[in-house]
Amino acid sequence: MLVMSRRAGETILIGDQIEIVIAHIGRSRVKVGIRAPRDTPVIARELKLVREENRAAGAANPVADWGGLVARLENSPQVSAALPDKGIARQEAAPKN
Amino acid sequence: MPSFDTKHFGQLSFESQDTIEFPRGLPGFEDRRRFLAIRQPRSAPLVFLQSLEDAGLCFITTPVQAVEPQFQLKMSAEDREAVGLAAVRRPRIGKDVWALAVISVRETGPTANLLAPLVINIRSLRAVQAVMRDSTYSHRQALPAPAEAVCS
Repeated sequence: MLVMSRRAGETILIGDQIEIVIAHIGRSRVKVGIRAPRDTPVIARELKLVREENRAAGAANPVADWGGLVARLENSPQVSAALPDKGIARQEAAPKN
Repeated sequence: MPSFDTKHFGQLSFESQDTIEFPRGLPGFEDRRRFLAIRQPRSAPLVFLQSLEDAGLCFITTPVQAVEPQFQLKMSAEDREAVGLAAVRRPRIGKDVWALAVISVRETGPTANLLAPLVINIRSLRAVQAVMRDSTYSHRQALPAPAEAVCS
């Protein structure tokens, strides 16, 4: 990985079209300005991870092994207080397997 | 009372005031905004989050504390505003919000996304997937091994 030292206000160029400005350096965080063509997606890496993770979770096998999941979680400390009691479907539904 | 076809539960009736709304959708599913939380005693502590716009989309989630009892919720100002809690600097789980971790089931075992819990305002049911700031939580936290695996 190429590592460059920059001061606040200084700029890095990537190719002809992408410009990275170190806008502000705080105690534990830097603000970075990015100038890039509209069709170049710019997102924080965490967001990409979350998006991929959501897609994997959303595409999951329709009959995931619920029993196995419950077995892993049932010994966890009481979480009932943290569970929604509003916003819950009223009907006591049985899963269709 | 409206009813809806779900991925796992057949047709389900629900009260429209129980709809959980993600004004910005979820990363990867930006146009899926309305969900219903479904819970049943025999699958506790799992909470199924069924899309009301796509019958084939249902996330399996669990309260974050089931995976990480000491979970510390830190939300950006932008995320707090998205759920209508701009003025609440440190929303409390169970008091102001619920925090659910999305579970992925993969061949190497199930994992929970603790990096980006689904945070739901308890009163308004407005929700956001909050990517945690300055966090060491993993987006693929392995779930603990099942109890019976310990004694063999």
